Amino acid sequence: MAYSLAPTMKPADFHGLAVWEIPLAYLADYFSHGWICLLFAFTVAGIIYEFVPKDVVMKYMSSGRASGYALALIIAPFLTVCSCTMVPLFAGVLYAGSGIGPAITFLLMAPAANILSILLTGEMISWEVAGVRILASVAVALTAGIIISKTPWGKAIEREHQQNSADTRGTVEIVKPPLDERLTASLKFAAYLAKQILPYFLLGLVAVSYVEAYLPEDIVGTYLTGVTGILLASIIGGPLYTPTLVEIVLGRGLLELGMSKGALLSWLMGQPYDVANALAVSRIAKWKVVLTYMLIAWAGSVFFGLLYGALIGSL
Amino acid sequence: MNEVKVEVIGPDPPCARCQAARKVAEKVAEKLKASGINVTVAKANAMSKDVVSKYGVLVSPAVAINGVVKIMGRIPGEAEIEKLVKDAVEKRV
Repeated sequence: MAYSLAPTMKPADFHGLAVWEIPLAYLADYFSHGWICLLFAFTVAGIIYEFVPKDVVMKYMSSGRASGYALALIIAPFLTVCSCTMVPLFAGVLYAGSGIGPAITFLLMAPAANILSILLTGEMISWEVAGVRILASVAVALTAGIIISKTPWGKAIEREHQQNSADTRGTVEIVKPPLDERLTASLKFAAYLAKQILPYFLLGLVAVSYVEAYLPEDIVGTYLTGVTGILLASIIGGPLYTPTLVEIVLGRGLLELGMSKGALLSWLMGQPYDVANALAVSRIAKWKVVLTYMLIAWAGSVFFGLLYGALIGSL
Repeated sequence: MNEVKVEVIGPDPPCARCQAARKVAEKVAEKLKASGINVTVAKANAMSKDVVSKYGVLVSPAVAINGVVKIMGRIPGEAEIEKLVKDAVEKRV
């Protein structure tokens, strides 16, 4: 058998283990395979974040609405591995006069398709699912942005924040440290990300081990397949979302227990309506905007779950 | 006395990395006081309209020296800030 980057234990392997042995066995199994993929994901995320020419990108983002949507889609995955940069950027894009549409697109695209979660989805589940996840996220983020920019309440927010585009000439002169320092900085950032995320990730893995051990396969097979499965997965996936990559491991566990691939996609896409971010955003935009984009994100995850499931025959 | 204004720009409430950047700036301010440079460290809110209209959209933490953004999206080192502050002083003299 080829060397696997993902855990290899099957749900049946957990039978006969004592309660306290389950998470230990699972963690040992996970880390004997998963460490290299985690290491890779964090390192790449750190390097990309450091070397994206942030000043150039930001200048474009500040320059008004023309290419707003495209930029929001392309940039979001690379800049927002750290969740604390996302809401300020959302506010920045909005205040800079790029319009509510690109701001929302950016906000939804960022958690749905950041490099860390895409790399991990690809390595742990499959690159096909990772690819579909990106495409579906683009479609949903774009739709939500465009729809909200047409609603009366979206327009109201936009008017409120409309101002002349910032003229940043002369006020931004980024100094570039030498290459070796930048490499060190990118590794440091990778370590920082790991420190932020791994503790929750570990707790999540413990939870996943119990799910795999105790959740009967017929329950998953009954409830997490077909149309019901997609609806259920999209609803559970949302509130459960924490920016910790656990949803990927848990998704894999459920897939192993018999969840359909369509439901898996809905499950993975259920992130944009995560509550902590919604709260932060509602302080800048109004609740109506937040509810609208949550609704669109949810509908999108159901729609793409169904579409993907139907196309590959795994509903 | 040379006056230099260092602004640490980040979201409000501040994120961990912005606080780290601010600490670096404050340490440098303390250190440079002895050599006759008066550094004021201020925190600017990346989510306020004033900041956005002045600097554009920023990746936090960002550091501006005398109204010019020099660092974006990373925590600077002490030596780096010190050099930037000294450069700012020389430019004016």
